Amino acid sequence: MEDPKELFSYDDLAFFGRVNASISHELKNIMAIVSETAGFLGDLAEMASAGTPVDSEMLKSNADSIMEEIQRGFTTIRQMNRFSHSVDAPIVSVDLMELLELVCHLSAYLAFSGTVRLAPWNGNSPLVQTCPFLLQAIVYDIVVQQFKHAGPDAALDINVESRSDSGWGIVFSNLRIAERQGFPDDQIKKAAASIAVIIDWDRTGDHLELHVPSTI
Amino acid sequence: METENTIKILLVDDEVKFLKAISDRLAIKGFEVTTADNGEDAIAAARQGRFDVAVLDLQMPGMDGTQVLKILKQNHKYIEIIMLTGHATVDSAVECTKLGAFKYLEKPYDFNKLVEALKEAYHARMEKKFESDLKRMEAIQKLSLHQSPLGLLKSLAKLDDSEK
Repeated sequence: MEDPKELFSYDDLAFFGRVNASISHELKNIMAIVSETAGFLGDLAEMASAGTPVDSEMLKSNADSIMEEIQRGFTTIRQMNRFSHSVDAPIVSVDLMELLELVCHLSAYLAFSGTVRLAPWNGNSPLVQTCPFLLQAIVYDIVVQQFKHAGPDAALDINVESRSDSGWGIVFSNLRIAERQGFPDDQIKKAAASIAVIIDWDRTGDHLELHVPSTI
Repeated sequence: METENTIKILLVDDEVKFLKAISDRLAIKGFEVTTADNGEDAIAAARQGRFDVAVLDLQMPGMDGTQVLKILKQNHKYIEIIMLTGHATVDSAVECTKLGAFKYLEKPYDFNKLVEALKEAYHARMEKKFESDLKRMEAIQKLSLHQSPLGLLKSLAKLDDSEK
């Protein structure tokens, strides 16, 4: 097997940067809402001081809105933290469901995001020994390509299935990227090969499966 | 209450909560605000009402802010546009300026600076409109000296056609 440190390339760094940029955009939006809502409360306080009656329900709904945005900010920061830690060690034990949930959340920060439906998993956690960062990059690319080609109204379904060879299948359905002949590109092919993930895609259908070995 | 000098703003952002928060604040400051959470709705709103200034987010699902900027500038001769974005880059700022954006602001921003920019944009719009009206009046004066009443009406119709 390759030296794990050799798994990461400039392209992977670029992926890391793109995801972080989308997270920072989300945080900017949250801060803008908090800032405007707090400013609005300040304006209302000034009006009240000047003797203009202020609706208490309006005060409450704006205070609630700030609390909701702060919670949204905490969630975003938690995901950013998980994503950042995915490069801590090249090969670790990974829960596929947790990894997919994180990618679904991260992709939702894109301005052109659509819907991704991740089917719940019942049973023991689907664990694999792999490079979480590269597997995230592959899944993220598939989701982004779907958003780009199918538009914001289309929905992509993802589910995890156990395979008889002790590996796991990540199955994408309702995929609308069949016409994109350039997919997967060299970067994704290289990332998949380096962690022994097989991309099984019938270009005529709307299904794509990533076969993930239990260990590499 | 709407007055002659109420500044009419079209505010476009895919963050609905941001639209609500900022439009509430601008309304307190005396602006008349219409909101749209996507480019298509913004263009439809601009067709139905007259706006002095549009404030556009850059990255939105579907039609992005640059496309909306281009279409609004094409279809509405006097509207001024302020770009307000969380995705600021030098390239996009240059592109928006070339397409006729009045100002390019980055989130997070100072609310008072936005208010100031809106007023400046409104004044720029009024000056442009005033100059255009002046030219139109001069053209009408010239036409009325040399044409019959029917010819004058036809020429005025042509002048109106050239006004978007």
